[in-house]
Amino acid sequence: MDGAREDRTLVARLREGDVTAFEDLYRRHSGKLFNVAFRMTGSAADAEDVLQDVFLQVHGRLDSYRGEAALGTWLYRMMVNACLDHLRSRQHRQQAATDFLADVEGFDPPAHPSWQPDRALDRMDLEAAINQLPPSYRVAFVLHDVEGHEHHEVAEMLGIATGSSKSLLHKARLRLRAILRGAPDTQGER
Amino acid sequence: MDTRDTQPEPPGQPASAITCEHVVALAGDAADDRLDVQVRERVERHLAACASCRSLVQDLRTIRQGAAALPAHGPGPKVWARIESELQARQPAPVRPPALHAPFWTGWRVGLAMAAVALMAVVATVILMRVPDGMHPSAGQAAWQPAGPAAHQLAEDTVKEVDEHLRIADANYQQAITALEKVVAAEQASLDPAVAATLQKNLGIIDKAIQESRAAIASQPNSQLAQTSLFETLKQKVSLLEDTIALINTMRKGDQAGAARIIGGLRKS
Repeated sequence: MDGAREDRTLVARLREGDVTAFEDLYRRHSGKLFNVAFRMTGSAADAEDVLQDVFLQVHGRLDSYRGEAALGTWLYRMMVNACLDHLRSRQHRQQAATDFLADVEGFDPPAHPSWQPDRALDRMDLEAAINQLPPSYRVAFVLHDVEGHEHHEVAEMLGIATGSSKSLLHKARLRLRAILRGAPDTQGER
Repeated sequence: MDTRDTQPEPPGQPASAITCEHVVALAGDAADDRLDVQVRERVERHLAACASCRSLVQDLRTIRQGAAALPAHGPGPKVWARIESELQARQPAPVRPPALHAPFWTGWRVGLAMAAVALMAVVATVILMRVPDGMHPSAGQAAWQPAGPAAHQLAEDTVKEVDEHLRIADANYQQAITALEKVVAAEQASLDPAVAATLQKNLGIIDKAIQESRAAIASQPNSQLAQTSLFETLKQKVSLLEDTIALINTMRKGDQAGAARIIGGLRKS
């Protein structure tokens, strides 16, 4: 059975009140959703909390799912929103950022970049660099480059135009390069 | 996905005139190998002559490949247990006709729901007990307090009330533990003997700690330390039993990695 058909069957079972369907929904989608949450929050504990919140939200909102978007897209959208809310809340608590979506200014590259020219990119360095991206860049990068979604899917999940998804991804990659190389992200400002 | 429609068009000049600015704008598509043939040829000619742009495209390609190769992570088994417990606590269990061969999960779910309800009662009781210092009648309200026999009566009443809350919290913990123990006892045969032995050993240690806390409270009924110790150990026992049920659940689903994670946790308990 293909993924979309399996999701439709799941939704039908949920609507019929099949008590095991929600657990099946969790088993089927929690892994990928957790990965997004983990990459977005940078913490397994935070990701588990967000995942739990999202599935409790999903359970309460299943009646509002009309099937316009694929079930997976609908779930990703809820997860992305929950992650962004979590990061906003964390930013608020840390009083770190003042401009959430346009956080481009004031970037300080690390003093001792670890990714030297002609050297392999270390996974830990990349993960640390992803955690330094502004949330809007990070979400586009995680969904496209880490999770492998296409731009039109990312756009649907984020509720933005496809061109905006491309633009965010491009800026995210340039910013990552700057972080990893320890150079100012002048190209991303063009 | 084809992105040709959105690629910035290099100016209508000889190929050699393509600028670094254009290449920067196209670098993402170049790294993804999504440039159309004509643009790609011009970009490649520029890259052959421009080390800076060549390095940029190569770096973006490395970052994209590195991102795609990042390892996948998964949630711990406790997440589903917490979700299920929360949902059980929110909703009444559906009334279903009894099955001739009741599945394992039927008993498991009912047991967990009972434990969840009992735990909620524990939390409510403990919250009632934890009156903030500033709200305590003795804090900064001396002028309001009665004196003499009335004060003595008030103190006695307060002690009785706290004792009653403690008794209720203790009973609710016991109720949760009993429900969880029934589930574990019914399914313990499915555990690996070594894991079952570790579980029994850890439960034995916790039970001993519970006995010691009860003995301390019996000799010093007003000792806050003894009361805290008792509730901490009761909580530990609930947590260990919940982990065990999550382990049984995970093993039945054939999730070896998840089971190994829980077993690691059980051994640290």
